[in-house]
Amino acid sequence: MVLEVKNITKNFGGISALKNVSFSINKGEIFGLIGPNGAGKTTMFNMITNIFEPTSGEIIFKGENITGIKPYKITEKGICRTYQNIRLFSQMSTLHNVMVGGHSQSHAGVFSSVFRTRAQRKEEQLLIEKAEELLDLVGLLEHKDTIAENLAYGQQRRLEIARALASNPSLLLLDEPAAGMNEKETDSLYDLIKTVQSRGITVLIIEHDMPLVMKLCDRITVLNFGEKLAEGTPEEIQNNEAVIEAYLGKEEEEVNA
Amino acid sequence: MVRRYLKKEGDRLLGEILNTYYLQIGSFILINIMLAISVYVPLSSGQLSLGSAGFMGVGAYTSALLTLHFDLPIVVGIIAGALVASILGVIVGIPALRLSGVYLAIATLGLGEVIRVIFVNWDSLTKGSVGLTGIPQLGREILEFARGLGFEPSMIGIKNNQFVFLSIFLVLLILVIAILWFVVRQQNSRVGRALSSINMDDRAAESMGINITYYKVVSFTQGAFFAGLAGALFAHVIGFISPADFAYHRAVEVLIFTVFGGSEVIVGSVFGAFFLTLMPEVLRFVSEFRYIIYGIILVLLMAIRPQGIIDTNLLKIFKFKRSKGGVR
Repeated sequence: MVLEVKNITKNFGGISALKNVSFSINKGEIFGLIGPNGAGKTTMFNMITNIFEPTSGEIIFKGENITGIKPYKITEKGICRTYQNIRLFSQMSTLHNVMVGGHSQSHAGVFSSVFRTRAQRKEEQLLIEKAEELLDLVGLLEHKDTIAENLAYGQQRRLEIARALASNPSLLLLDEPAAGMNEKETDSLYDLIKTVQSRGITVLIIEHDMPLVMKLCDRITVLNFGEKLAEGTPEEIQNNEAVIEAYLGKEEEEVNA
Repeated sequence: MVRRYLKKEGDRLLGEILNTYYLQIGSFILINIMLAISVYVPLSSGQLSLGSAGFMGVGAYTSALLTLHFDLPIVVGIIAGALVASILGVIVGIPALRLSGVYLAIATLGLGEVIRVIFVNWDSLTKGSVGLTGIPQLGREILEFARGLGFEPSMIGIKNNQFVFLSIFLVLLILVIAILWFVVRQQNSRVGRALSSINMDDRAAESMGINITYYKVVSFTQGAFFAGLAGALFAHVIGFISPADFAYHRAVEVLIFTVFGGSEVIVGSVFGAFFLTLMPEVLRFVSEFRYIIYGIILVLLMAIRPQGIIDTNLLKIFKFKRSKGGVR
């Protein structure tokens, strides 16, 4: 098991964004987190990466309790994420964005950076090679010198994935990676996530594009109003009465007919 | 005949160029460039610090007091001044960097005022608002040192006075070049990328494994160091200091250097300090109107070009021209 989420509850003031949610993710699988808007999916990501601390509950990563440790340390341990509303370093080049992603994989401090020690130059070269390899993977190598904010929307989403991969994660969290993408872009996103999986990286994905989720995920957890509604394989989820009701409400009979 | 005339004319020109007034303005420009960099560096990681005047004062008083009371060499005093300022930078930085933007600016401005009030009231040590006089002068020390080695300024055809100001100017020039070298090299590295990623989006930077507190303190402390260094040099160039030299108008002046020149790139800070130090001197011929003109230029600039004179786009145009439409 890579990640265990145990009884996570998060209250914002009087409102519960998450109520006693638990699930666990096996190594190498693509795990979907779905649910209507406001179900608490992104809040769950913020709990795992500790942008907010949970009110109660525990998050266990590779057998270690990581609840409440600093976000940058969580990245060092091997969890990296993308954001629903793209958060690139907009004034930096595409290549440098990915190189920042490699921060936790490198060590040069102020002294070695200024004096360009042999170790620093070697490390910098490796960072560039790694970044270029990842840009190639997401199909952005030809845009490596482009300033990130000048990239097309779909390209920015792919760059965010490359940047997260540069931290060499064992668990990758993707927050609505297909949002705003056309069919063609979504198809290549599917291929990309499958490639990521084939590299031995476990993926936790929030996504609203149901055909993509059903095609991509090995298992899915459904959240609704902060509570876990169902968990299972894509087929099980598609046929789950409670899920259909949560998504489609009263029109359920029409769909079933 | 002609030769002798040329030699004479050459000496006259050298004397003209090595005019002590020009050299002194040159030295002030260089000190102000250091101060502008001390604002630029924290700003490059998104920290708007107005503490430069305070850190400058700490550097100046530390070095002045050490050289006055303990007879330490100026070099030791200057290094100590810069170090004490940076230690204060760490101590203040760790709690203060929980703040950001305008709140940090106000907190650091407050810090500067606290430091100034301490200088005013710690009479027994700082001589209060009268300030310290008779601080060992950097240029004179260099002259004495050179004489000890058997060198006389007249050997290269300049007066003692000119040598004093020239040596100060050269020492400052070397230091400014060293600081620029340091900052530029740091910028084009893992540390520099971490700093600018924090500036652009600190939450995303933290998700990429960057310890943002550490890097913020590093850049804030470097700013304190450069300001302290500039202050210590200021003390030994001028020879007398008082708390008024490090008051809040100085903090604002230094901030204006960086904002006017352009805070996106380090060239902007350098240009801002250069231009705004030189302008009041150039405008001397309009005497009392010069600060009005100074003010009008600032207002116009902020209205027309809020990012400052020099920004990344402007630099790109130059780079593009230089590489004749090259790849980069």
